[in-house]
Amino acid sequence: MPKFTSELVNDLAKKLLIGLTPEENKIVLDEFLIIDENLQKVEKFENIKSVEPMTHCLDDFIYTLREDEIKPSISIENALRNCEKVEGREVEVPKVVGGEN
Amino acid sequence: MDKTIKELHEMLQNGEMTSKDLIQESLKKSYEVQEKYNAFVTILDDAKETPVTNNLLSGIPFGIKDNYSTKDILSTGSSNTLKNYVPFFNATAVEKLLSAGAVPINKTVLDEFGMGGTGTTGHTGIVKNPWDSTRITAGSSAGSACAVAAGVYPYALGSDTGDSIRKPAAYCGIVGYKPTYGMISRYGLFPFASSLDHCGVLARNVQDVAIVVDTMKGLDDKDMTTWDSSTIHLYENLDGKVGGKKLCYIKELCDIENYENPTEELKRHLENFKEKLAICEKLGMEVVEVSIDKKLLSALPSVYVAISCAEATSNLSNLTGILFGSRGEGRNIMEMMMDHRTKGFSPLIKRRFVIGSYILQKENQERYLKNAQRVRRLLVDTWKNLFKTFDAVILPVGSGPAKHLDSGNDILTKNAEILEEHLQIGNFGGFPSITIPDGFINNLPVALNITGNCYDDENVLNIAYAIESAMPYKNQIAKEVSHE
Repeated sequence: MPKFTSELVNDLAKKLLIGLTPEENKIVLDEFLIIDENLQKVEKFENIKSVEPMTHCLDDFIYTLREDEIKPSISIENALRNCEKVEGREVEVPKVVGGEN
Repeated sequence: MDKTIKELHEMLQNGEMTSKDLIQESLKKSYEVQEKYNAFVTILDDAKETPVTNNLLSGIPFGIKDNYSTKDILSTGSSNTLKNYVPFFNATAVEKLLSAGAVPINKTVLDEFGMGGTGTTGHTGIVKNPWDSTRITAGSSAGSACAVAAGVYPYALGSDTGDSIRKPAAYCGIVGYKPTYGMISRYGLFPFASSLDHCGVLARNVQDVAIVVDTMKGLDDKDMTTWDSSTIHLYENLDGKVGGKKLCYIKELCDIENYENPTEELKRHLENFKEKLAICEKLGMEVVEVSIDKKLLSALPSVYVAISCAEATSNLSNLTGILFGSRGEGRNIMEMMMDHRTKGFSPLIKRRFVIGSYILQKENQERYLKNAQRVRRLLVDTWKNLFKTFDAVILPVGSGPAKHLDSGNDILTKNAEILEEHLQIGNFGGFPSITIPDGFINNLPVALNITGNCYDDENVLNIAYAIESAMPYKNQIAKEVSHE
């Protein structure tokens, strides 16, 4: 497991498309140390590995899948109304293929 | 606007006032509160009166937390990334209130995307506590709590992923209720951590939260986690008959001996809580002290951070500024998205995303995410075991009244962080959970919380209603303390 370092924090931030200041980087490191310390203690709980991870609130919930059914969807105007750059019915972005990388 | 929903409804029906009168009063009060406490992102000057019907909410103003989608009304999540975002649809919970004739008056400030507990990280600035403007409201439903406490309207919508309805309600001297997970549709609520997110309401008494949630709840095709609650009638079942009910409180949280160097506020808060347990006994309830493994309790805050950060990182990855939100600058799409996210998110959110991302890495999932989810189950099972014997768990909220705005660097009393964070168990298990004011420390409100088993909302609210009726803190409007 890679050590949680300043470089790793920057690498993760980059993958998330987020820039961090050095101060923000340090706060992440400090905060993570506390989480790491606490979850290290969890690893020592008796039989912890035998516990089924809980991913949802309601264990008794019955999931039902709807039949595939074509229903009216949103209009293109609505889909584009919060987009700042639009050309006709499309979202405008800088050229991807052959553009500046 | 200092009246209950029922009182306002009767006045409207009797013709003592009109919906238009209420709207004007609520708008006027909104501007006063905005000036003093900065509770709103948007004030809806063009709010229109609605016909008064038999529905208790008709014609009456209310507030909406700004992470609920509202059709043709700015909905920002209190984030710079969505500072100009205007949805083309209403959240289901909002739609249900509108159908009942309720009148939205403003959109309230939250901690950015609900990911904070102070009310200080919204993109429009800090929300101040109406009891003492040098103190926080707590968060994330900061503006909703502030506005209801200040008497802008009888109720406002909140959302609760950790304690985001129940903690600000406590710090502002009002009632905050999140029902069982899935009772209210989350469709149109900006997601933070989907397995923990709940819709709910803040009001000034238990009856009002019951009336509002009765209207907001119900099955929704657009949220597959909703369930049929048509047999649950919260308001109708408030009778205050609680004789024979059994409550428990947790020794490790409530016994002052568990705290090293406790503050005077913590001592008084716990003493006050114990006095309220005596009231519960007078009401005919049995109150029992139980003990929970302290090691398990102490894992709680980190488990919450691990699960919520992991889910948030995934949920908010669609905020790129390309399809919606303000466009970032850059030569290509990657640079534009990076610019949008770097400038748009507050430092707190960025930190949470990085931690979430690390936890979600394949090689780290077992150690961090899975273990956190295992402890979540242990905690929920512990509470469910309590519910086999007890109708509800009753506990103090936080370690005292609201903290000072500049107390960010204060060191908490050792171990008090569990007392600050225990409401998160209600989110881990999806339990119905309600906070009601239970007294004052230095003229500032403090509160207790009642949490019960899933689907047992009627019972939880009725217990809260009975206790509230036996105390003098119902329908409080904030009175700002003097610093002279």
